[in-house]
Amino acid sequence: MRLDDGGPGLSRAQALRRGSAALGVVCVGGVCITGLATRAVSAGSRAGDERILNFALVLEHLQAAFYAEAAGSTAFDADVLTFARTAAAHEKEHVALLTRLLGAKAEEAPAFDFGDTTSDQAAFLRVATALEDLGVDAYNGQAANLGRAALAQTSRIVSVDARHAAWIRSLAGEVPAPEAVDAGRTAKAVMADIARTGFVQGQG
Amino acid sequence: MRRPRRVRLVRWALLGVLGVAAWRLLRGSAPPVPEPAAPPAAPPRRGRSAPPGRHRPTRVRPAAVGIVALAMLVVGVAVALGVRHDGASASRLLDGADVPAPIASRLGVGAPMGLGAASIWAPVRHTTQVRARPRIGAPIIARLGALTPEGTPNLVAVTEAVVAGDGGGVWVHIRLAGRTGRALGWVPRETLGGYTAVETRVVVDLTLRTLTLMRRGRVVFQAPVGVGTRAAPTPTGEFYIRNKLTRYRSAFYGPLAFGTSARSPALTDWPAGGFVGIHGTDRPDLIPGAISHGCIRLRNDDLLRLARLLPVGTPVTIR
Amino acid sequence: MEPTHEPGDVMAAAMVPPIVGRLDPSGAIAEAAGRARSLSRRALLAGALAGGIGLVVVPAGTSAKGSKAGDVAVLNFALTLEYLQAAFYSEAERRKALSADNARAARLIGAVERTHVAALKGLLGSDAVARPFFDFQGTTENDADFVKTAVGFEDFSAAAYQGALVHLGQAELIAGAASIHTVEARHGAWLRFLQGVVPAARALDEPIDAGAAMRLVDSTGFVRERPRTEAHTSPAFAG
Repeated sequence: MRLDDGGPGLSRAQALRRGSAALGVVCVGGVCITGLATRAVSAGSRAGDERILNFALVLEHLQAAFYAEAAGSTAFDADVLTFARTAAAHEKEHVALLTRLLGAKAEEAPAFDFGDTTSDQAAFLRVATALEDLGVDAYNGQAANLGRAALAQTSRIVSVDARHAAWIRSLAGEVPAPEAVDAGRTAKAVMADIARTGFVQGQG
Repeated sequence: MRRPRRVRLVRWALLGVLGVAAWRLLRGSAPPVPEPAAPPAAPPRRGRSAPPGRHRPTRVRPAAVGIVALAMLVVGVAVALGVRHDGASASRLLDGADVPAPIASRLGVGAPMGLGAASIWAPVRHTTQVRARPRIGAPIIARLGALTPEGTPNLVAVTEAVVAGDGGGVWVHIRLAGRTGRALGWVPRETLGGYTAVETRVVVDLTLRTLTLMRRGRVVFQAPVGVGTRAAPTPTGEFYIRNKLTRYRSAFYGPLAFGTSARSPALTDWPAGGFVGIHGTDRPDLIPGAISHGCIRLRNDDLLRLARLLPVGTPVTIR
Repeated sequence: MEPTHEPGDVMAAAMVPPIVGRLDPSGAIAEAAGRARSLSRRALLAGALAGGIGLVVVPAGTSAKGSKAGDVAVLNFALTLEYLQAAFYSEAERRKALSADNARAARLIGAVERTHVAALKGLLGSDAVARPFFDFQGTTENDADFVKTAVGFEDFSAAAYQGALVHLGQAELIAGAASIHTVEARHGAWLRFLQGVVPAARALDEPIDAGAAMRLVDSTGFVRERPRTEAHTSPAFAG
């Protein structure tokens, strides 16, 4: 660095040069420190678990509302109605468990509109199958991201959702377990599928 | 979880280090040159002399620049942290944003695996009466011992027929050891032990004098064999490998031997029952040929090769 | 609605001494079972504290993160259950003694369990426990016993995977175990549907620990010594 004895302090040029270099260091450092903030939550952290459980809670709210409405249908076969009523009770408990786990951090349920999918049996079978399969994939996608204690809870839920999936598929004449594994999917993909249904008011 | 706290500590340490680095960068590596003792006259300057009255180049104090830089660092970090708010907003939730990407499973699970054809054998648990039909009281056609003459558990080949019994349980249809390879009968399931499925099959051709081993329908071994003479022929029919004998000393029988369920029709009072074995020889020059008392003989090197491929219980067709 | 069956009460009643030792020569399963037992009482009874996620912290010393050896033990435990299921369904398919729906379930579910065996064996390599010898004593050869036994297997297998999930260290293994856990739960519901009982009896399924699972396996009497097929006597054949 050329010594400039033009007086105390730095020339503007020098200050500008050094300032830019320092600012560069600062920006890079700031980014590194905060680690691209929106994904900076460590696996198993409280904040991370909160996000994941709220994601699960939205799905459970959706299922609970769907089955609660379907449970009142007058157009279903007896065994399909039994399924809807049982699933409604189960999903209500799933919502309750997740809400209890999240406490004040639990997000509100959105408003839903299911159209005729809760009254027309063929549509109901199709949608229920899709929602249950989707739920299982959503949970499985997050299993490794959750803390142990949270995972212990969500696995109690997803196990039953998987049973629902096999049950409704059996009722619909589909193979109850078509795959060797239920691989996880990203939350974005899951919510995109939900958005396509149009059930959630204010989504998409 | 312990990890987030440690990460936070590391991050604050990094912040401090970067702050110090920024500060040093701004100050420069050398301290400012101290003013020389001012002579009465102005010291000569490099470059052009500044004409009097002209505006002097702006001087910026390093301390001021350093403070501004640190403030920007703090503000930048605060903004970045602020972007990450606890509890997603409703629209971010419905996008699935803020939820981390899945971690891929390491379990390489391939396509569902179908079953190939197989033959089943089972050990006999205790001496049992074999009946002509699957019910108590049907005629007894044979007595099934629990051991082979060699002292290993007796085995039977289990056919596909299964019949539910009256009092629960099932009856199974088994192939017995014997001279014809056509002896079949019924026993209650509980007289047999666990099933083993084998995908191999042996065919011995008495005319061609070959032994062929197939696995899943494909030939994996073939060799010439010595078979029984006309006076003491090797029986034809459906049989199975019952045991494997090793670590004995016998040049006649070769390095190892397989016992089968086939019995020589000619040797009716042979001490150990006159069972047909598949074994080695001290006369490889006689193979292939009709040379034995019914046993199937291989040259020793062929036999050793076969032994690596042939599981006990494999069905043997002799024709 | 039909009463449901608990996993433990569907198995055959033969009393045999436990032979977990013979299933588990390296002690891997016993180790996992021991670890699982100490963890399950505490960490898996989590409820939430008001005002946040106040879940029970996994106690230190129970190897929640999991060493490689710990993961091997858990995977070998899973492999043993898969061996059991694969052998059961394979035998059922081969015996051809079941009615159409049951035979179809045996064929499709068996194909999946066989891939699970292959996947776990592939992952474990030389660390994999050997396949045990099974005697299913006719339960693969008639409809009633097949369905009862299969329901029991699937229910307790799902519960065992659920219990094992929180013991694995590597994130990728947790993802893998989770992806199998739900498939076993589906199988359980499928077979219950065939049996005519409610496929999902409860809102929440509970895990079982490895020790409980292995005791259940022992209690079936299905695991036996492999029959001895080799001897060292001199041949006394026809010659």
